[in-house]
Amino acid sequence: MTTLFTRARAIRQSNTWIYSTMLFSALISLTASLVLSIDAVELARDPTADLSCNINSVVSCGAVGVSWQAQLLGFPNAFLGLIAEPVVITIAVAALGGVRFPRWFMIAAQTVYTIGLIFAYWLFYQAIVNIGALCPWCLLVTLSTTVVWVSLTHVNIRDDYLPMPRAWRSWAREAIANDIDLLVVIAWLLVLALIIVTRYGSALFA
Amino acid sequence: MGTKTGNRHTAAQKAVASARAGQRGHRTIMIIGGAIIVALIAAIAISVITAMNDGDKSGADGPLVVPATATADGGLAVGNGPVDVDIYLDYMCPYCGKFEAANHADIQRLIDDGTATVNLHPLAFLDKASQGTEYSTRAANAVATVADKDPGHVLNFNTALFENQPEENSEGLDDAKIAEVAASVGVPQSVTDTFADRTFVPWVTQSNDAAFENGITGTPTVKINGVVTEVDLYTAGPLYEAVTAAAGTTK
Repeated sequence: MTTLFTRARAIRQSNTWIYSTMLFSALISLTASLVLSIDAVELARDPTADLSCNINSVVSCGAVGVSWQAQLLGFPNAFLGLIAEPVVITIAVAALGGVRFPRWFMIAAQTVYTIGLIFAYWLFYQAIVNIGALCPWCLLVTLSTTVVWVSLTHVNIRDDYLPMPRAWRSWAREAIANDIDLLVVIAWLLVLALIIVTRYGSALFA
Repeated sequence: MGTKTGNRHTAAQKAVASARAGQRGHRTIMIIGGAIIVALIAAIAISVITAMNDGDKSGADGPLVVPATATADGGLAVGNGPVDVDIYLDYMCPYCGKFEAANHADIQRLIDDGTATVNLHPLAFLDKASQGTEYSTRAANAVATVADKDPGHVLNFNTALFENQPEENSEGLDDAKIAEVAASVGVPQSVTDTFADRTFVPWVTQSNDAAFENGITGTPTVKINGVVTEVDLYTAGPLYEAVTAAAGTTK
C-alpha cells in the first residue's frame, strides 16, 4: 500500500505522466474548439436565426453569439483554440518521444499559454456574470485549458525553468514534491463546479 | 575513529529522521487537502439537493388546471371574430417584444371590430435565458391566471409585460413586479395574489410542448387560420392587412 503510494507519487513527476496528461487535455480542448468554431460558422450562415428566438439555438435568440465577448479579436474566440492547441499537442508528443526543449522555448510556451488561461477564465467569468448562459463545450475548454496549464507549469517548475527568485523556486519545487499542486487543482475544479451548481442548479436539476 | 563512526551514525539518523519528517509533513498536507476536498464535494452535493427540492416548488408536478378561456391546442382566446390568429410568444424573447410593439394596436383593432379571435400561446422555452428564475414560465402562468379569472384584461397585461420586458439572460421580473405590472392595467389584487400559486404551470408546460410538437420552431410565430404567416412581423400594418384579407375569404 505504502510502496504503491510512493510509486504513484514518483510516476506523477515523470515525463510520461505529465506529457500524457497534457496531450490528452489538449486533444479535448482542440475538439471542443472545433465544435464551437463550427457552431460559430453555422450561426453566421443562418440568417433566419437573427429574426426570432429559435428553440434549438445554441445561444438564446442570437444575442449572445453576437456579443462582443464572443468575438474579442473580431473573429470567434474558438478559432484561438484551433491555433494554439495543435502547438501544445506537438510539444507533448515530441516530449513523450524524448525531445528536450531548451529553457527559452519552455518559458515562451508557459508565457503564451498563461495568456490563454487568463483569456479562458475571463470568458468563464463573462459567461457567468454578464452573459448568464453556460455552454457545455465552453466549460470543457475551461477545464482542459486548466489541466494543460497545470501540467506545463508542473514540468517547468520540476525542471527549474521559470525565471523567479530563488526562494520562490525552491518553495514551488517543494510544493510539487509534496503534491500540493494536485490538491490545489482538484480543490480549484471543485470550486468551479460549486459555482456552477449554486448559480445554475435550479435550471440544471429542477 | 570512534568519533568518525559516531558522526556517520548521527548523519544516517538525521537522514532517516528528516525523511520521516518529510513523510509526516506530506501526510499532514494530504489530510488537510483531503478535508478541503471532501468539504467541497459535500457543499456541491448540498447545492444539488437544494436545487432539486427547489424544483418541487415550481408547481410543474401539480395537477393540470386549464384556464377558462384556453383553446384545445394551448392558446388563450381573446375576442370572437371569425379569423383565428394564433400568436406563439415567449415573454423573455426580445423579438416577441419587437413584434408586440409594432402590432399591439392592430391586434386590439382586429379584436374590437370583430374581425379576429386572437389566441395567445405563451411559451416557456426561454426559461434557460433567465438565470434559473424561470421568468418565461412565471410570466406565462400569470397571463394564464388573468385569462382564467379576469379575461377582459389579458391583452393589456400581455402588452404591459412586453413594455416592461426584462433583458434576455437577466433574472427577469420577480413575482412582485409581475403582479405590479398586472395591477397597472387594472387586474384586481385578488387575482394577482394567486400568481404565486403557480396554478397554471402544468398547463404552460403542456402548451409549450404541444406547440413544438406541432412544428413551431421559434418565437414569434403567427398563424392565420392555422397557416404560419410569412408577412413582416416587425412593422405595423402587414399583419393587419393579412388578417383582414383572410377575413374577406372567411366571410
